[in-house]
Amino acid sequence: MSAVEKLPVRPQDDSVAAAEISLYRNVLKLKKEHDLENLGISFFDEETTLQWAYNGDHYFHAASTMKLAVLLAVFRQVEHGELSLDSDVHVRNRFTSIVNQEPFMLDLARDADPNVYGHLGKTLTIRELAYFMITMSSNLATNLLVEVVGITTIQQSLDELGIHGVRVLRGVEDQRAFEAGLNNEVTANGLLSLLRVIADCKAYSKNACDEMLKILLDQQYRSGIPAGLPKAARVAHKTGNISTVHHDAGIVYLENRQPYVLVILTQFAAETGRGSAVADVSRDIFNTISGLAYES
Amino acid sequence: MNPEHDDALKVVDAFDLADELRSILKPGEMVKDAQQRRHRLPRYFYEVPSHEFAMKTRLTPHFGLNEFILTDLKEAPGLLPWPRYVPCAVRMLAFFLEQFRAAAGASVHIAVNGGYRSPSHKMSELASTHMWGTAADIYRIGSTILKTKETIEKYNEIAEDLSDEAQVLPYGHLTGTNADDHVHVDLGYLTLIPREISEDRMEVPQENRPRFAFEDRRRKERRTPPTEGSAE
Repeated sequence: MSAVEKLPVRPQDDSVAAAEISLYRNVLKLKKEHDLENLGISFFDEETTLQWAYNGDHYFHAASTMKLAVLLAVFRQVEHGELSLDSDVHVRNRFTSIVNQEPFMLDLARDADPNVYGHLGKTLTIRELAYFMITMSSNLATNLLVEVVGITTIQQSLDELGIHGVRVLRGVEDQRAFEAGLNNEVTANGLLSLLRVIADCKAYSKNACDEMLKILLDQQYRSGIPAGLPKAARVAHKTGNISTVHHDAGIVYLENRQPYVLVILTQFAAETGRGSAVADVSRDIFNTISGLAYES
Repeated sequence: MNPEHDDALKVVDAFDLADELRSILKPGEMVKDAQQRRHRLPRYFYEVPSHEFAMKTRLTPHFGLNEFILTDLKEAPGLLPWPRYVPCAVRMLAFFLEQFRAAAGASVHIAVNGGYRSPSHKMSELASTHMWGTAADIYRIGSTILKTKETIEKYNEIAEDLSDEAQVLPYGHLTGTNADDHVHVDLGYLTLIPREISEDRMEVPQENRPRFAFEDRRRKERRTPPTEGSAE
């Protein structure tokens, strides 16, 4: 543990400050336990308005969390009348690298979702692609949507909504770009503000936010934030995994309280493996929030 | 063609269509190919009234009309509602593909955006034969997805052996001149003028027919003698 990460003294009372410090202590402990190279956490609790971040402005490789920005841009175009959710898109596995405009194909054996590549040569609607991009983390659906809306529009939609800390340069599996160090990057605070505009219905319209939440709530990969929560919790979230990062960013809905928004970004050595750090942090935060005394 | 629908497949002169459709289909307009050769876009189209009609209508025993007009959001929005239009030469393409299917020994699947693409389609570059309805991008033959050099070259050879008029794109990654995830086969800048159509209409002024601005300009230029200082 570095000098700057010395554990603070635990306060005696049951205050918010005590909760925050307890959380901080646990996070540092988890970081060490899971041998994480980097950890970024940001959360905002709408019930208590407690906002807390650890390493919140540190940039991580975005992995599939960049798909949240694509989702936002799709709904921007829909709300602006530039696109219809029912428009057909040709499912084609051929994309152009941002480096030298070289063509590349996705390795479909690695794609998590057969629903999309089963439609090669045929069409899927924008709505279906958006659904598979989020719920099954389909890379093919993502690149098709990136092609439809354009990188410029994706970044524009983030800028318009005042979301800083999410940089989208390209689609996924652009190996040439990866080798050139051109990657999509996110901070925990950046993803938090992205999710908050959706949770607070500030992204374009209530209808757009409802549609996005509906998709996010159907997430099929639940080993991150949901794994640290009671089974009854509903989580609208998006995971992100590559060999050295495991992220999850979501809105947590619990009974009889306002939701909280949580982003957990982890980075580790390739040989370490992803482990259960995200779930453990999620559990800690849930326990902390559950223990807080709310003001009436 | 299925006799049940043959009579119902209406031929239209695209000059008679509404302004918006004419501006999308650009009938009779000249476009240049990559070698700067000029080609005139088709004027006669089949009018396809509905999706159901397109699904039911067989151009040949194994190719339905719907396969040639499948497009996505890259097609001009004004061309997506029904009725839709496809150049009459599509029938020649279907006949060729039927032969190709027999030679390949398996079903032949045309990709979305792989049949007719209007001149306003986002993939329409220069004078692509897709704008004549005489080109097909085939993404799957039987159960083989065409994505390797080996398979694409194999089926390219089969297509070329069938007809001197058939042209394919070599395997490669350069969009427009190569194909790396499909077999492109085309019959060139072929137009088909249905038997029942008389082209006299092109020669006789038709005052009631709405005209493009460029047509009016050309007519005016033909009638107006050169003035002093005008270019020779």
